[in-house]
Amino acid sequence: MTPPKIPVDLIMAKLAVEARKAQHRLEKAKDVLLGPLNTDIATTPCDIVYQEDRVRLKHYRPLKKSRQKTPLLLVYALINRETVLDLEPGRSMVQGLLKEGVEVYLVDWGHPRRQDRYLTLDDHVNGYLDTMVDFLRERHRLPQINLMGVSMGGTLAVMYTALHPEKIKNLITTATPVHFDTDKGLLHLWTKEIEADRLVDTFGNMPGDLLNAAFLLLNPARLVFDKYVGFLENLDNQEFVENFIRMEKWIFDSPDVPGETFRQFLKDCYQRNLLIKNQMELGGRRVNLKKITMPLLNIFGRYDHLVPPEACAPLTKKVGSRDLTEICLDTGHIGIYLSSRGPKGLVARIAAWLKEREPNGQIARSAAKKT
Amino acid sequence: MNQEPRPPSAPEPLLAAWIKWTMDFWETLAQMGPRQTGTALPSGALPHGIKSPLHEYSRLALRMWEAFFSLLTEPRTVDAVFRGIKAPSEMILQMAQTGWGGYFHLHQQWLEGGGRVEAPGLEDLGQDFLTAWAEKYEEQFKQLVNLAQTGLLSIPQEKISQGVARFGQYQAAMTEFMNLLYLPLKKSLQVMDENLEKIAHEGELSEDFKEYYRMWLRILEGEYMTLFKSQEYRRTLSYTLNALEDFTAAKQELLADTLKILALPTVQEMDEIYQEIYLLKKRVKDLERKLAKLGPAA
Repeated sequence: MTPPKIPVDLIMAKLAVEARKAQHRLEKAKDVLLGPLNTDIATTPCDIVYQEDRVRLKHYRPLKKSRQKTPLLLVYALINRETVLDLEPGRSMVQGLLKEGVEVYLVDWGHPRRQDRYLTLDDHVNGYLDTMVDFLRERHRLPQINLMGVSMGGTLAVMYTALHPEKIKNLITTATPVHFDTDKGLLHLWTKEIEADRLVDTFGNMPGDLLNAAFLLLNPARLVFDKYVGFLENLDNQEFVENFIRMEKWIFDSPDVPGETFRQFLKDCYQRNLLIKNQMELGGRRVNLKKITMPLLNIFGRYDHLVPPEACAPLTKKVGSRDLTEICLDTGHIGIYLSSRGPKGLVARIAAWLKEREPNGQIARSAAKKT
Repeated sequence: MNQEPRPPSAPEPLLAAWIKWTMDFWETLAQMGPRQTGTALPSGALPHGIKSPLHEYSRLALRMWEAFFSLLTEPRTVDAVFRGIKAPSEMILQMAQTGWGGYFHLHQQWLEGGGRVEAPGLEDLGQDFLTAWAEKYEEQFKQLVNLAQTGLLSIPQEKISQGVARFGQYQAAMTEFMNLLYLPLKKSLQVMDENLEKIAHEGELSEDFKEYYRMWLRILEGEYMTLFKSQEYRRTLSYTLNALEDFTAAKQELLADTLKILALPTVQEMDEIYQEIYLLKKRVKDLERKLAKLGPAA
């Protein structure tokens, strides 16, 4: 067999060209890194209209007169911060909604301290969340508001809506896990072996850094290695560097999760999958998904490795609503919130969906439809 | 020329002479007082004929030392003293010999025990080393760390030993976990090597390095996915987490003891207070809600 012909001369020539390019890039990168960089996140102006303990309610100042009477309350997860919904100008779900004339409120769960370790899921859902919903109902003199949950925040929103359906007009869930007994997501596999009691009794609150390490391990090739290779390749691109640093700021801003909340979420949801079975209890009250009878918009990502479609899609079949809409985007977990550019983006679809269900708008009464 | 060995100079006469000279010196000094020197008595000094207590004590002390040292001048006593001086050094030498002998004996046992591990191949060297180290730790070192403690400080000492043991366990678990995470990297390089050979044979080698990088990244991603779904990974992850929890708990116990010594509240005590505050707040909120339902009339 003849030995393979390796074009060493071409490879060497290519190397030389790449080396020159790299040198030029490094010179430019130096100017970028040492120059002024705009890396602030969550810059959309807002006011804190309510605060209880560490939890705050942000009200974003409307950009124009609101087209919709009913305000929208955004509930983010207890893991990582809600600032991803307002990461940067041009990639901000909050700004997109404001531009569509939606009045936006956002829950800031803050940074739990040791003293918060005894706060349960019930305290978050029937405590803080219920108080904020009542506050908004009174502030706007409305019997109901719109509720949108993101990721684990969506799970909290689903629990809340099932327990207080009379207070919610429309429910939107994005990348929201409700069915946890699936092998499609690594988190679902890994959490089955973890002893929640031992973990919480040892650490008190679940350390945010430990959770971060677990998320990075979901795909170390991309998240630990390739990401930084890409960063080095684009060091001379100021916009890229600014976006990258903003993203890093959000990713590694990981608050701890209150111990008792984490214990119940891990045991009742991930390990026993009680929510989808209508067997979950909060404060002695059964969470029955059939009690969710208002319009539901369920959004998830086809390539979401954290919350796979198999964990999100079953919600549509378990609720009592007749007005059901599903949107499956060709994106991953974070892409759902950041792929909101343009009129055809997700934000525009959300705003349109809400507008159709305003009292003076068209109300769709069709059965579940997939988009 | 033959020289007869010199007899060692007998220490006893020398010692006796030294003792006698020393005693004579101090006695002469003690007998010299302000009277002998002809200097005027300092104010407050006792008049002539009355003996000063200090002077008496000095004389008594000298007499005692004289009696003691006079014993030493006797040959039998000196011999016993020198034998006594030699004894500790002989004892120390004996102890050292026993200690070293014991250590070498243990070392030999350890080597014999380690001899059960077969000579590893190069590719399995890392894994076998880890396994051998983990076995050695369990069989040999852990027993030393878990020795029962005695005495007043036995409980803190036990806690320190526990902390050391837990740390060792955590280190072992973490090393095993990191080794597991390294395996896909190793495998991806092997697969990449095979792929490159195949491509080279087909004559489809690219000049663009990024293509090879992307190819390797896809392989690496696939290998990690395979590992992460395996039962072995889940078991190792769970074991590592448990070891971390045990080590953290041992650290917290030691910290609690230190805080107690410093009269500072421990983490557990603070947690109890936090729990009480939490329950009180809940009760207050509940009462406020009930009160609000009753209305202004209440």
